[in-house]
Amino acid sequence: MKTHGIIPDEWIVSYASGALSEAHALVVATHCHFHPALQQKLIDAENIGALLMESRPPVKVSSHMFDDIISKIDDLPNEVKQPSNDNGLPFPLAEYLNHKSLDQLNWRMMGPGLSQVRLWTGPNDERLWLLKAKGGAKIPSHDHSGLELTLVLQGSYHVGKDQYGPGLLEIADDETKNHTPLIDAGEDCICLVVTEAPIKIHSLLGRLAQPFIGL
Amino acid sequence: MVFIRIKAMINAGRQICIGNREAFCLTAQGLMSDSLCRNLYKGSIMDEPSAFSDYSHEQLVILVARNKDRHAFHHLFDYFAPRIKSYLLNFNISDQKAEDLTQEVMITLWQKADKFDPQKARISTWLFRVARNKYIDKVRQQKYPEVNADDHIASMIAPEKTDQNLKEQQDQGRIKMAMAALNDEQRKVIELSFFKELSHSQIAAETNLPLGTVKSRIRMAFQALREELGDYR
Repeated sequence: MKTHGIIPDEWIVSYASGALSEAHALVVATHCHFHPALQQKLIDAENIGALLMESRPPVKVSSHMFDDIISKIDDLPNEVKQPSNDNGLPFPLAEYLNHKSLDQLNWRMMGPGLSQVRLWTGPNDERLWLLKAKGGAKIPSHDHSGLELTLVLQGSYHVGKDQYGPGLLEIADDETKNHTPLIDAGEDCICLVVTEAPIKIHSLLGRLAQPFIGL
Repeated sequence: MVFIRIKAMINAGRQICIGNREAFCLTAQGLMSDSLCRNLYKGSIMDEPSAFSDYSHEQLVILVARNKDRHAFHHLFDYFAPRIKSYLLNFNISDQKAEDLTQEVMITLWQKADKFDPQKARISTWLFRVARNKYIDKVRQQKYPEVNADDHIASMIAPEKTDQNLKEQQDQGRIKMAMAALNDEQRKVIELSFFKELSHSQIAAETNLPLGTVKSRIRMAFQALREELGDYR
């Protein structure tokens, strides 16, 4: 039932219902950008939300609300200009980054061949990152104490025999032990990542470095 | 007869274009009744607000987009504002906050009506999305990134729609039947998702169920609803 690298339906429902955090919503929306079948599922889920909204018992709205709206729309500017997406990134991410390109971001070195940009920090230590790893790099073996979503934007990596390439998403949680992603040789691998709690790195060197690299 | 004429025009090719008005009828193929077309030509619909009961919500949005028609907008307001506010009140916000957010949703409809394409989305789905995102933005103070700018799939064309009013009533009946067809456990997780915006782990805490059980119930409920609402797009 589980399809490799594709987010399960319960996440589509949570996205549609508005239950996801900013970081998870961005990862799911960007993931859906790569897969038309997921976009259709999302529309189905949002249609369900809309029908549920419509079937709510109507409540009274204040008698002056419509007039208030009319007086406000008279003062509105005519056109809301949408910026164009010109940096080649999937739309949700491009918009989230205010249409900056990846090169324009403030990348921080984390170690040999590894750099990161932190995009958002939310409640419960939730963090949204862009990670960039050189082709062939090995990410230190680690455990998770929370949920981690990794969406590949460019390049690819392996975990065991599973390969993750552009548009594919890996979900790791408490059950995931000895997580040792291996970046495939070739171009840099760039991923959009959400972590919920600091990961636990096994090696002594890794543990010593962890506070400095911020993972 | 009239419908056949419009169909014939469509079949004759999209190049047929006698000014913007004709293109409009073609764009909204199948959505547009002849009387609506005529009224648009004359611009006379403003004078007969009672005529709106014949039009689907999607047709009314087109009138707002094309003509900035305030009667059509009022009609949409009367239907949607009390339901949007009712949906927002689920999230335990004050009546005033729900009023403010509802007002913002309706203003967004006025502003962006011309971005709405009835071929790609239902207006209630579009408004649901706006209401959901406004709540998250203004109350939770987080962004909620969307897949596409306005409607989700640029290339997907919905099947031709006819007799919109009847269809809307049927859709309402169908979601109620589809929800009723779920078992209590499945209905519970769908309601906690859509009416409380609870995450999987929050639902697990609320229901005292293992996380895996919550996820599989949501999956099964979603699958059942999709099957029930299958050709509904």
